[in-house]
Amino acid sequence: MIRLENVSKEYSADSPALINANVDIEKGEFVFLVGQSGSGKSTFIRLLNREEKPTQGKVYVAGKDIVGLSSWKVPFLRRNIGCIFQDYRLLPKRTVSENVAFALEVIGRPRHVIEQQVPAILDLVGLSEKSHRMPDELSGGEQQRVSIARAFVNRPLILLADEPTGNLDPSTAVGIMRLLDRINRTGTTVVMATHDRGIVDTMRRRVIELADGKIIRDQNQGEYR
Amino acid sequence: MTGRIRFLLAETGQNIWRNLALTLASIIVVGASLALFGSSQLVARGVDNATQRWEGGIEFVVFMKADAEISQDEAIRALLTASEGQEIDSWQYVDKAQTFQEFTEFFADDAELLETISVDTMPPSYRIRPTDTDAGAVAALGQTFESRPGVRTVVFATEVIREIQTNADKISRATLWFGVALLVASTIMILTTLSIAISSRRNEIEIMKLVGASNWFIRIPFMIEGLVQGVVGALIALPGLAFVRTYLIEDFSKSDNLRLLEGFRVTDNEFLLISLSVIAIGTIVATIGSIFAVSRYLDV
Repeated sequence: MIRLENVSKEYSADSPALINANVDIEKGEFVFLVGQSGSGKSTFIRLLNREEKPTQGKVYVAGKDIVGLSSWKVPFLRRNIGCIFQDYRLLPKRTVSENVAFALEVIGRPRHVIEQQVPAILDLVGLSEKSHRMPDELSGGEQQRVSIARAFVNRPLILLADEPTGNLDPSTAVGIMRLLDRINRTGTTVVMATHDRGIVDTMRRRVIELADGKIIRDQNQGEYR
Repeated sequence: MTGRIRFLLAETGQNIWRNLALTLASIIVVGASLALFGSSQLVARGVDNATQRWEGGIEFVVFMKADAEISQDEAIRALLTASEGQEIDSWQYVDKAQTFQEFTEFFADDAELLETISVDTMPPSYRIRPTDTDAGAVAALGQTFESRPGVRTVVFATEVIREIQTNADKISRATLWFGVALLVASTIMILTTLSIAISSRRNEIEIMKLVGASNWFIRIPFMIEGLVQGVVGALIALPGLAFVRTYLIEDFSKSDNLRLLEGFRVTDNEFLLISLSVIAIGTIVATIGSIFAVSRYLDV
């Protein structure tokens, strides 16, 4: 599903963000990206949805080289990739259901599809009762659930999560991880950047560890303790 | 498809509503610029119409009576021919049919007036270009025709008309540059308004990009917003133009104190053409401003 071949990314000559990364991620895998701040996790994620282009190397998503993808095709790539962030990035003047519907409206989905899919996804994330609330009326965990609903409502092949539990207390974080696990079980590939060792140890999934832009560990579930 | 259009229009409406003060300011600047630009075009047309008969150095016109006898007409013609190369540099005869045609073109929008005239009621005339263009010499020469049999009146190019005509080229050139400067200001205003709109919606734009909205889907609401500013600005300029036109016709050309500017008018067709060009320019200015804004400030 995802392949990085000799990928390097430099924002400036003296501080490479990613150095010669080689990674293969299969369809339906759940992969943790771990490492200190500045180790290259976010760059890794930004390369997968073409927010960045590598300085060298090739990035394949669903069998296609996305580095040479022309800019007008990038939106079509992103329709297959959901993104979740630490800061939720919800639209403050739209309700929960409007935030989720927004993701479908802007890609031109018909009204009847939106009316069908939005309640279904809000049910999945457990926010049916709060569909008319504004984001500032929700807790951090609930806001992140809205963000997940928005990322998943279009049923993407891949879900990229950049520190999704970074702003949440441990018990709320567990709830979010259960939700991501549930989404992963539908066949969606999940790539999650985190520096929460507890979550990584509890979930027992594949771990790719980065340090100073280099992959220093790539272990499948069961290969580490 | 209709859902998509509805969404784009709703987004445009929201953009305008959130940025209302600046959008209104932009519309007013565009409207004022286009009103000034259009007004200067109206004035240019008015000057052109008022001085049309005085083109080519014509200093005075001898109008014959509509019922002048052929012999009277021939006497004037003989006098002109005899003076040609001396006091008179050149002359041109405008017959009844030609006068009627000019009159009907000029008053094309005044059906009531046109009903009262016919070719026979039109006075033929001689447009005369004297050798010596000194005001005293022209007046003296013109007066020699006034008392001739069959002559109805002699009309002189006044100093004001002559001055207006002499400066017509300067006026039209200055008008052009003035208009261009104002239109550039309008373009910059639209560009600035859109850049602020884009900046205030950067979070939404970022999310739109992340969930896979196409580049044009992101751009279009901002482009429509720019277009609205240009077109509405042009539309509010039109009543201003109508006011200027009425003011010119009613007060300048009909005022007893300003008889010099008689004929200073703009026909319906000319007004329609200027109005359409103002709308077209408003649209073009808005399109240019919008394209610049989305390509410079909207990183999709």
